[in-house]
Amino acid sequence: MGIIIDYSPLPGLEKTGVLAPMIPVTFKNGRHEFSTIALVDSGAEAGIISTVIADKLNIKWRKIPAKTGFSVGSSFLFHPVNVTASIYDHDFSLKVNVVEGIFAFKCILGRKDVFKRAKICFEGHKNQFEVIFRELN
Amino acid sequence: MKQIKINLVKLLKGYKPGWVGISPDFKKVLVWGKTLNEATKKAKTNKEKIYYFPSGESYSNFVGIICYGNNNRL
Repeated sequence: MGIIIDYSPLPGLEKTGVLAPMIPVTFKNGRHEFSTIALVDSGAEAGIISTVIADKLNIKWRKIPAKTGFSVGSSFLFHPVNVTASIYDHDFSLKVNVVEGIFAFKCILGRKDVFKRAKICFEGHKNQFEVIFRELN
Repeated sequence: MKQIKINLVKLLKGYKPGWVGISPDFKKVLVWGKTLNEATKKAKTNKEKIYYFPSGESYSNFVGIICYGNNNRL
């Protein structure tokens, strides 16, 4: 059974006509939970969260050696951590990268996480996307 | 088929910089705090699942955009 989610307009971008595919997600790290709304990014190799979100999940990211990542605009430092994510009752483990120096709201799911767990169909002509989770035993 | 509408512009309109806690149906903001900790503390008595998102921000660098022309429309 799939879920259809309308693309969302983003504050500050109203005049551009840009809409973004956003998905509700709950991250779990032991007994710590944090629910937010993540950008679904087929161009992102892996998921990222900000240090603010990592702190809320009680992730001791400063103790994890930093690695260097690259994006279109610049390079960045990140700390990979294992957490659990839950999207509409579909729970799965994933490695998410805590990225230093990014905006607090940044939470992106990419190809190594949500795209491996679900078939995601972007329907740009309808301004919506469909998520169909794989049934895994 | 379940269909979900999330309109962050409508939800966050009028809120000062900080964090909001959004209801699980994405129709209303339940709490606001200057910081994430303040917002989560305010939400402690709430039994519903709350989705947290910053308010009062411009999300222009959340997504990569290229603008053409004077009206910024793609």
